Amino acid sequence: MTAFTVEALEPGSAAGVAARRHALWARLARLTWIAPVLVALVVTTLYPTIFLLALAFSKSTLGKPFRGFVGVKHFATTLQDPIFLSAIGRSVAYALSTSLLQLALGFLIALLFTSLLKAGRFLMSLVLLPLMTPPVMVGIAWKLIFAPAGGLLNGTLITYNVISEPISFLGHPTLAWLAIGVADLWQWTPFIVILCFAALSTIPESVHEAAMVDGANGWQRFWHITLPLVAAPLSSIYLLKLILSFKLFDLVYILTFGGPGFATTSAGFAIYRRAIEQFDVGRAAAETMIYALVIGLVTLPVVRLHQHFERREL
Amino acid sequence: MRSAGRHLWLGLAAAPIVGFFALPFLYLIAVSLKTQDDVLDGRFWPTTPSLANWPAAFEAANILGFILNSVIVSLLSGLVTITLALPSAYAVLRLKIGGRWLSDVTLSSYMAPPIVALIPLFFLLKTTGLLDTRAGLVLIYGCANVPVAFWLLMPFLRRMPIEIEQAAAMDGAGPFRTLLQIVVPIIAPGIVATFIIVTVLSYNEFLFASAFTFSDATRTLPVGISLFQGDRLVNFGQMAAASLAGIAPVYLVALFMQRYLVSGLAHGGVK
Repeated sequence: MTAFTVEALEPGSAAGVAARRHALWARLARLTWIAPVLVALVVTTLYPTIFLLALAFSKSTLGKPFRGFVGVKHFATTLQDPIFLSAIGRSVAYALSTSLLQLALGFLIALLFTSLLKAGRFLMSLVLLPLMTPPVMVGIAWKLIFAPAGGLLNGTLITYNVISEPISFLGHPTLAWLAIGVADLWQWTPFIVILCFAALSTIPESVHEAAMVDGANGWQRFWHITLPLVAAPLSSIYLLKLILSFKLFDLVYILTFGGPGFATTSAGFAIYRRAIEQFDVGRAAAETMIYALVIGLVTLPVVRLHQHFERREL
Repeated sequence: MRSAGRHLWLGLAAAPIVGFFALPFLYLIAVSLKTQDDVLDGRFWPTTPSLANWPAAFEAANILGFILNSVIVSLLSGLVTITLALPSAYAVLRLKIGGRWLSDVTLSSYMAPPIVALIPLFFLLKTTGLLDTRAGLVLIYGCANVPVAFWLLMPFLRRMPIEIEQAAAMDGAGPFRTLLQIVVPIIAPGIVATFIIVTVLSYNEFLFASAFTFSDATRTLPVGISLFQGDRLVNFGQMAAASLAGIAPVYLVALFMQRYLVSGLAHGGVK
């Protein structure tokens, strides 16, 4: 609208210049509204992406970045590095499986809490606490539980004669992953419970009543009514948890520090050590770009699934 | 009668769930009360409870200083985040500025793990002289949490009846005045919930804090606690006491603000 008025005015006339200036100001004023978010996006996303790209093609250390162009050398090294590639594989497998497990568990707990009505609301504020706990402290608490000599789990298992010798849970490749998974489950399932609880509470009571009148039993009501109605929110909750799982770092740092060997080194942790301990930021940048690409490829089908459910709902 | 029985069963099913979620917290308390001899005996409760670990932990490391750093950084960064996110969220929704494009870009920027930004932000802070300062962390957290705040504020803004804003505009209030004097008071619970959530996210953050702070004057609590793992202390009792001291502030917030929190998280999660 504004642009049209400006065009219609005599060019060069005093009124035209004033109107044009006014339109410019109006546009700038509109831009000021979103400028804060644009600044935040530049700082946290645009600038890091460009900077990483530049780093990935250069000879760089943490002390002295950009000391010459090296072409795709860092990418070639990274793609031939079995340790890093398996770290990516582990991160993907971990994110996909723990997110699915926690979604299923969180949904079941939310169903239970929904049936408990008032008590459920009280329980909800209780399970809020794990979510609020700093991940470092979550790691420490579980580290004490899993401690090989005299930890709670070993102590209990020995007391009840399940095992005779203490097990080094965090020193065994598979068990260490399970330990990280348990700590992660403890921290994040409550979040999923809250989100599922909210999704379930959007289903109008009348829908269930109508189904009951039609003679549907509990299982049929769940399978044919509840589940389809919450499919879209469930897929978005899965997507959210997937994204959060790819950020796994703190628990690995505290519980296992990537060990034993490289067994629990996630991609994020591998990049961290490469950059902060070995100062090889050029190669770390290339690793980061490859990891980001893999995350994009893995989450894309989930995004599509979510869009599919949302469209079906419209 | 049948319903009461059903309730009993459901309650019995809930008990182990509550037990599982309470376990690590209770165990931390138990370990913090154990003496050095008791600490690794594999039992849950200490044989002779003692409070000795608590003053010892505060003496061994600058716990109060770490907590203070964390509180200052998280509160200020929470303010920065809300200031950055609220006008933009309002503009996208009501003034049709930026539109779908801006909210899509904002949300997708949250998908990348923070490790992606670690190295570039390290150099940004180094160049601006903000490395190893609390101001640097405030800046980073303030910006990094904007997508979360944007996402959480949106549903509260969307549910706000537009007629009130139209009435304000008729009375000659500009959009900024409308936002500040009309919208903000009405959606205050949503803003409070969002503020708490982003503040807790900053309080709990570890990756950036561990890479961008390296002196006792700036270290936040998670970084300080993680140092307990290293050479300074291997005393589990003190580690548990220090961890509990660090958890206490967030649990207090959770206790008093739980209604805001649950509604903030729930509305944000399901559009």
